Amino acid sequence: MKCKTIEELLSPYLEDELNTEEKGTVAKHLKTCENCSLLFSLMKETQESLSDIPELEVSENLLDRLYSIPRKKKRFKLRFPNFDFLVRPSLQPILTVATIMLIMISFYFYGPNKSSIDKSISRKIGYGYSKIERLYAKAESFTASLGEYKDNILVSLKNIKLPGGNED
Amino acid sequence: MLVDTYSKRIFNMAYQFAGSYQEAEDLTQDIFLKLYNSLSKFDFKRNFSAWLLTIARNYLIDQYRRTKWEKQTRDNFNDHYLTSEAFENPEEGAVKEENKRTVWQGINNLTSEIRMAIILRDIQGKQYEEIAEIMSLPLGTVKSRINRGRLQLAKILKEKKERRNEM
Repeated sequence: MKCKTIEELLSPYLEDELNTEEKGTVAKHLKTCENCSLLFSLMKETQESLSDIPELEVSENLLDRLYSIPRKKKRFKLRFPNFDFLVRPSLQPILTVATIMLIMISFYFYGPNKSSIDKSISRKIGYGYSKIERLYAKAESFTASLGEYKDNILVSLKNIKLPGGNED
Repeated sequence: MLVDTYSKRIFNMAYQFAGSYQEAEDLTQDIFLKLYNSLSKFDFKRNFSAWLLTIARNYLIDQYRRTKWEKQTRDNFNDHYLTSEAFENPEEGAVKEENKRTVWQGINNLTSEIRMAIILRDIQGKQYEEIAEIMSLPLGTVKSRINRGRLQLAKILKEKKERRNEM
């Protein structure tokens, strides 16, 4: 068996979770492969070191902070009874967009270039309006030419001589 | 009361995960704040302590992804852990202490998910089933992550020992 496959079985081997056959295979490999055998003994040392890490006591300062959380929360709720929805995560994108909009609006109203912005906006509006007018005129001329085409087509249809039909 | 029963467990989990004492205190406070906000959503059919640890695990991993603690250094092992054990063989004791320091620092090289699995299994000694519930993962995934974590730490220990031998 390859070392890579054995590596995957080292933890279950360490914790005696393999079946007899797998256990035998791993034990046999460890006897012959120096690398895997070293890795296995280091894994044991690692596990021992980790299990030796003791639990720390919580400091008085942290305990005070933790005990005061419910009081803080209650105070916040009393002061802002109806605005809890504002801190919901789902509202964050909307609040962000609203903030950006407000910043842009404030730039417009209080910025030094208000008149030039106004001019450029009115220029843009005028340009857009004239474009629409041109488009409208084009559409009108197109409908007029369609009428002409219609007349021409009708005349042509009347003049078509169908084979086998009467001359009159 | 919740603080009396669970603060030590949550604080130790946060410290083992983040590696910084100050950070762990702040994280513990945040986790309790989150807990108070979520208490109304608790399903009474579930195991409370597993549910609380799931909240803690999710918060720690979220924070880790946001701030990337792996770039920071961990506190030195002896900053807060005292070596109280008396060894018959002082040399063996020194090796064990050195191993602990290396493994403690090595935890920083593990990804957040593997780190959490290793902490729950090897430091806190939880059962695989409980870890799978806390981490909301299949049992097989938990086992393979723990194996990967142990292998990584064993390789770090190997490198450290080789470097020491070269000196």
